[in-house]
Amino acid sequence: MKKTLSTLTLGLICSLTSLHAWAAQADHIKVENPFAREVPPTAPASASFMTLTNDSAQEIKLVQAYSDVAKTIELHTHTNDDGVMRMRKIDAITIPANTTVELKPGGLHIMLIGPFNPIKVGQTVEVNLEFVDGSRKMVTMPVKSFMAMQPMQGGHKCGNGKCGSGMGH
Amino acid sequence: MNNKFTFGIIFIGALIGLVMVFAPLQTTHLGNAQLITAEKPKGGDFTLTAVDGEHSLSDYKGKLVLLYFGYTFCPDICPTNLGNLSVAYRNLSAEQKDKLQILFVSVDPERDTPQRLKQYADYFEASIVGLTGTPQTLMEIARRYGVVYARVDDPNNGTNYAVDHSAFTYVVDQNGLLQQQLPHATTPEQFIKIINQYLR
Ligand SMILES: [Cu+2]
Repeated sequence: MKKTLSTLTLGLICSLTSLHAWAAQADHIKVENPFAREVPPTAPASASFMTLTNDSAQEIKLVQAYSDVAKTIELHTHTNDDGVMRMRKIDAITIPANTTVELKPGGLHIMLIGPFNPIKVGQTVEVNLEFVDGSRKMVTMPVKSFMAMQPMQGGHKCGNGKCGSGMGH
Repeated sequence: MNNKFTFGIIFIGALIGLVMVFAPLQTTHLGNAQLITAEKPKGGDFTLTAVDGEHSLSDYKGKLVLLYFGYTFCPDICPTNLGNLSVAYRNLSAEQKDKLQILFVSVDPERDTPQRLKQYADYFEASIVGLTGTPQTLMEIARRYGVVYARVDDPNNGTNYAVDHSAFTYVVDQNGLLQQQLPHATTPEQFIKIINQYLR
């Protein structure tokens, strides 16, 4: 009887643990420093970037993203092949257990293809991330210009997403 | 020309005869860009079209030229590089700006008209001149500079193809000689250092 009880208890703990593991994957992903990029008016797509941290003991896959700002949203990566930059659509961005994955220029990114309106500095863009279990996480991000991404060290005055004057008319 | 998964190619300077064997001008239907590693590309003069007419590299003799090959539909790589160049440019003295010319050559002549290139280049506010030419001319120049590019069709969206391309910034000195190539994501600080080196 004692044995049965402890087996039951163990079973209960196990199922509780696995229940915990089943908590929505979105809840286990922390999003930091998200931003979308302002692109020249002729570019038909923008990209958004962020840092994703998985605090769970299981890998989590980001499988899709949604946004109202553009016609098509895709997960992409770049590879640098002896200096040749190749961009490819990918099916998922895997965030291994207890690991941080960085989406950044020149690498992984969420493509916002065919924006309905120009994506401009000063705006915010919302992107809804969907994970493999179907759970979602809404991310609100500022739009930054290419200049803000590479602030000069020292006495340079650029920053706050604006640099110089009369941008992009 | 519009075959799936292809059109362009490729090229690395040196050994032109050998390269011709791999990539005859008209029949460039390879699935992927080929990298033919070779010695230093030889560079040299070329003439291309901007919105205000033809420009030759030799028109800029006496200036330091930073040359970049890309395309305006490029969502990330080209804006990053030209953005860094732009930040570097803004940190130069008036005298240095005067002695520097940044050229952006499109390897996507199908979509990048001279007008479109001007609009794109102007966005960066670094006095960049956008240039294009016929596919044949561009391939010939690309070969001499060791530029590799290849069209990659999007299976879901026929009109929105991407172009794989090498993302070097080529440094051409005041005598028109190709001196070095800088890798993708060279920072504004590094660009300024190089510019200072040549514009001493
Ligand atoms: Cu992309």
